[in-house]
Amino acid sequence: MSKTGSLDPDSTLAGAVAIVSGLPRGGKLPTLEQVRGPGAPRRFALSLAETVVGRGQQANVTIDSALLSRRHVVFRRQGAELSLADLDSQNGVFVNGVKAHAAVLHQGDTIQIGDVVFVLHEAE
Amino acid sequence: MSEATFVRFWGTRGSIPTPGHKTRRYGGNTSCVELRYGEFELVCDGGTGLRELGLDLVQRGRPRVSAHLFFSHMHWDHIQGFPFFVPAYAKDSEIVVYDVEAGRTRVEELLHGQMRSEYFPVNFSDLGAEIRARTFEQFTVELGGVTVRSFEQPHPGKSYAYAFECGGKKIVYATDSELDLLLSNADESAQDPEALRRLPDALVAFVEGADLLIADGQYTDAEYPQKVGWGHARANTVADLAHQAGVKQCAVFHHDPLHSDEAVEDKIRAATARLDARGSRTLLFGAREGLELKF
Repeated sequence: MSKTGSLDPDSTLAGAVAIVSGLPRGGKLPTLEQVRGPGAPRRFALSLAETVVGRGQQANVTIDSALLSRRHVVFRRQGAELSLADLDSQNGVFVNGVKAHAAVLHQGDTIQIGDVVFVLHEAE
Repeated sequence: MSEATFVRFWGTRGSIPTPGHKTRRYGGNTSCVELRYGEFELVCDGGTGLRELGLDLVQRGRPRVSAHLFFSHMHWDHIQGFPFFVPAYAKDSEIVVYDVEAGRTRVEELLHGQMRSEYFPVNFSDLGAEIRARTFEQFTVELGGVTVRSFEQPHPGKSYAYAFECGGKKIVYATDSELDLLLSNADESAQDPEALRRLPDALVAFVEGADLLIADGQYTDAEYPQKVGWGHARANTVADLAHQAGVKQCAVFHHDPLHSDEAVEDKIRAATARLDARGSRTLLFGAREGLELKF
């Protein structure tokens, strides 16, 4: 681009535009959307490195369902990866209908614990 | 041994690694499945997923392991992870590689081969672990409380399936098998794609009653005619095998490298519909990286 603002044939820029190499991420958190079970519908942001879901007060997210163990499942964030692990619950954890002891999670996964069903929304 | 069995998928892709956003959900690493019986580490195939398993073992605080490796066969997508398996570099590790055919050490020789200097900068002899070969006897091997049986499969150069039985639980790993070449009613099933595809009794018996069948179902019905003889099965045929053998859960494995996550899901939906139409009790799903099951 010439100083006068006329188009330089070697440039793809049409004006005095600052070129950025990257911007800070928006910081949106992955979210569990509870679509079934006591308290639904509602959303829980997975803001902690580890979020325990269960019916007991020791859990980070407490849901009042007799079908849940006190500490039923833990969601873990490690970098961009989100995973879950069954905490030896009585009724198990189902990811997209498959009983899972652990799983790496992705956008839109359905997670069921007892009568509670979540849909996972990854950070945007 | 009465401890639980854990099965974890470290690589589910067939033929070649396929990293990228189109394959995030099911994963891009090639074949590797971990079976854990207490501290007993059994590994099916050493595709690129084996690298991830090795790193995870280190994270678990187990850089030195005793691992038992079962290879379906030695095509490169099943062995490429071995030179990157960190525990193989640890002096106190013990790695046993199994050859089905008695008296042969072909598996170990081929692992040596892919680490020749023409292919890889580190020599096999530089690995710190004690690596030794063991062969099956009468197609069976006993490991502590685990009985492992093998079954020859149709694949270019042939391959083997393995059935692992322990504590009343049965896991079958059966990848790289062109089931469609074995159909006893091939003409009928060609005429009527909805007809049950009948597999040989010996194979059905090998798989029968499995708590989990992990099986190569690389292709859709529409894709298969262009790929006959390449050594892989249609997912719908895997569904029929699982149904005939009364399998509880079936993980369709060895996803085609051309398949995006959406394509894999379409394939799984079709195979599930086939089971539903028969009133089958088998639960079928697509094997995906990072999924761990407990039995």
